Amino acid sequence: MPQGREIQQTLCRMCDDRCGIDVHLEDGRIVDILGNKDHLWNRGRLCVKARAAVDMVYHPDRILAPLKRTADGWQEIPLEQALDEIAARLVEIRERHGARSLSVWKGEAIGFGQQENLARRFVHAVGSPNYLSNDSMCYAARYFGYKLVDGAWPVPDLENARCIVMWGANPPYAHPNMTPHITAARRKGATLVVVDPRLSAIARRADLHANLRPGTDGALAWGLVHQLLEAGAYDKDFVERHTVGFPQMLEYAKAFTPEAVEEETGVPAAAVRAIARALAGAAPQVAAYVGNGLEHHENGVNNIRAIATLDALLGALNREGGMLFKEAVPLRELTLHDEVPLEHLDPLGAKRFPVLYDLRRECHTMTAIEAILHDDPYPLRAMIVTGANPASTNPNSAKVLQALQALDLLVVRDLFMTETAAVADYVLPAASFLERTELHAHAKHQIVSVTRRVVSWPGVQGEYDFWRDLAFRLGCADYFPWEDETALNRWLLEPTELTLEELEAHPEGVEYGPARPRRGEETGFDTPSGKVEFASAYLKDLGYDELPVYRRPAYREAPDAEYPLVLITGARTLLYMHGRFRNIPRFLTAIPGPEVEMHPGDAAALGVTDGDAVRVTSRIGAVEIPVRVMAPNEIPLGSLQITHGWKEANVNLITHDDRFDPVSGFPLMKSVEVRVEKVMPDLGAEAPA
Amino acid sequence: MRIVAIDPDSCVACRDCEYACAFRQSGDFARTASHIRVNFYPRERACVPLTCMHCTEAGCLEVCPAAAISRDPDTGAVTIDEARCAGCKMCLLACPFGNVHFDKADGVSRKCDLCGGDPMCVRSCISGALRFIEADEAVDVRREALDAKLRRLLHLDKEEK
Repeated sequence: MPQGREIQQTLCRMCDDRCGIDVHLEDGRIVDILGNKDHLWNRGRLCVKARAAVDMVYHPDRILAPLKRTADGWQEIPLEQALDEIAARLVEIRERHGARSLSVWKGEAIGFGQQENLARRFVHAVGSPNYLSNDSMCYAARYFGYKLVDGAWPVPDLENARCIVMWGANPPYAHPNMTPHITAARRKGATLVVVDPRLSAIARRADLHANLRPGTDGALAWGLVHQLLEAGAYDKDFVERHTVGFPQMLEYAKAFTPEAVEEETGVPAAAVRAIARALAGAAPQVAAYVGNGLEHHENGVNNIRAIATLDALLGALNREGGMLFKEAVPLRELTLHDEVPLEHLDPLGAKRFPVLYDLRRECHTMTAIEAILHDDPYPLRAMIVTGANPASTNPNSAKVLQALQALDLLVVRDLFMTETAAVADYVLPAASFLERTELHAHAKHQIVSVTRRVVSWPGVQGEYDFWRDLAFRLGCADYFPWEDETALNRWLLEPTELTLEELEAHPEGVEYGPARPRRGEETGFDTPSGKVEFASAYLKDLGYDELPVYRRPAYREAPDAEYPLVLITGARTLLYMHGRFRNIPRFLTAIPGPEVEMHPGDAAALGVTDGDAVRVTSRIGAVEIPVRVMAPNEIPLGSLQITHGWKEANVNLITHDDRFDPVSGFPLMKSVEVRVEKVMPDLGAEAPA
Repeated sequence: MRIVAIDPDSCVACRDCEYACAFRQSGDFARTASHIRVNFYPRERACVPLTCMHCTEAGCLEVCPAAAISRDPDTGAVTIDEARCAGCKMCLLACPFGNVHFDKADGVSRKCDLCGGDPMCVRSCISGALRFIEADEAVDVRREALDAKLRRLLHLDKEEK
């Protein structure tokens, strides 16, 4: 063991922001974590989640040995025995039900960089196309929205922008390091527009806060398109040379007058005009970011596409202060999609949601739950979960739990005994981000870093070792020929002209290639037509809307009298990352439990105040939860918000696993029709007579 | 001397600074243990972080009958010697900004000591509203913020014409 005090530099993976950190060690034990002042992204600043990695790594509840479910409860078994038994069960299930009855489910709990592709590689190596992940509920719909319009999801050049628009995104909690860049732009006079039903942390600083009705973002985006077109305030040269579908767009936008937009979204017509003026006045230096808030709606992808079209109209693509196209690190391809294509095996959800599979090679997790429970479209009998907790984070949790329990084999790799691990046949200890080496890229700065194994536990495997050892037992060791993570990293880096030694010497990251300005205009956009697509022939051929058509959310189109309120779920908090960190004691001091956020008008109508328990019921289920009454401008009247990830009141007991965005397959989780009743306190024996 | 300069126009009231300070003081995240406190007023969307200014003529230092409060020669911070503090609370009354707090459990006053010259509140401020800079630089920051507002106003004026 190393003696004395030392500092190792690596990246934080307590959220997806990947800040540079200095890990302070004393005799080989982590004692503190501080921001790395040399890192381009966070420049020494760090949110309080990072230091809690010390608590996470040394948490008394860490799973550090393989566990097997027995009639007498969990039994610790040696790793080799666990892997042997798991492999034998997988072989047996594969023989009985076919290779596609096996699946893997990747999550966020371990903080993956490039290593998530090991799970994809493994499942194809054993002959199944069924790779499931959290991406089919977060990220992918935004990727599709931009990919379909621009051919890629451009990065907002926040600090150089003259106008910044945040659509359903709250950087202070979700992407901390976007915040100082927004601050820097505002200090230079940039206007900040925040589109969010709630007064989020970033909305506190907005010059214009459009607190629209949940799920109506597409109407506002079209309203802005309408204003720009009507005023002639768009980049006519760019539109003419680099776009397709403009005539159809011109025609469709006509209906979205500021008054019509006010009627649909609740945003005053004058505010719609003011936002359009702010965009036009700042063009082309307009940078926009769309958050997860836009994804969990039945018209999510079209709403995001409509927003994406604004960048091209404003001439903001490839412009300083606008939206920049960045290059991916040209690593070797770890997935086997091309080497072992398995489309013929009907990847789960690929027929119903062809875009999800075609553009991301993601299977549809809600379809997988049906396959487990009903053998529809075919049996799914075994699942290896790595760092995911679908029993908490997928919609309709009661059904998810039932499905997980119905599997012939459930193996969960995680740091802690999650709701999902609790119903597994085998629970294997996983290595946290401080216990593996892994390649990470910062697209914004086009730098790549290799993270360090700062500490390790005897018998706790890294991600590569686990998949390799299992693949070896299943007769597909050929796909995992590398001796260890280091050898794998070297192989991945081969096409990049970068060496592992160089990366190890520069924990702050190494630039992997300069951005190509004017990419797209000179080389064509990465869309089927090579142009920015206001209208998509690709979608039309698949039977979808050619234009990013706006469809009203169901709660407005066909109000359900039994469920008159609208529930938003999943708003981020400062300290928790999805289902994680509820076991960090000091986080619970600050944010002790779940709450439903409520407008004071709705609270008064129910006769409830802070801390009173209510029952929130949807057509899927019900959950009891304490009330938090917000200020009147913090949440619209008639809307509620519950953050996910709490065992004590799991909001996914009431979210929909039966209503989806037709393009992405994302479930309806952010405009759920509900009713709310006050729960009378159980006064018990102490009740006055 | 360097101070924790505060720019309320950039603060989002995320409370990272409060938690970082509370953690340093107590190992926990109770707001009451933090020397920097952020108040948020939703109706006005106002975020107001406030911490010790380390005044040149520090009322707390002057009034302390136990001579427990002194100025750190290295950082310029006004600090409390817990061992000398009698718990009389005169410093709380003397501070015009409410930046000295009383620790009921230990019966002593507590306040910001600039973490010995590397304040954790600033290192954890993810909006950039807090900066550890020379006092005269802090004035530049105020001017910069004012200029930004004027620039925006002038810009809108031009547009309306």
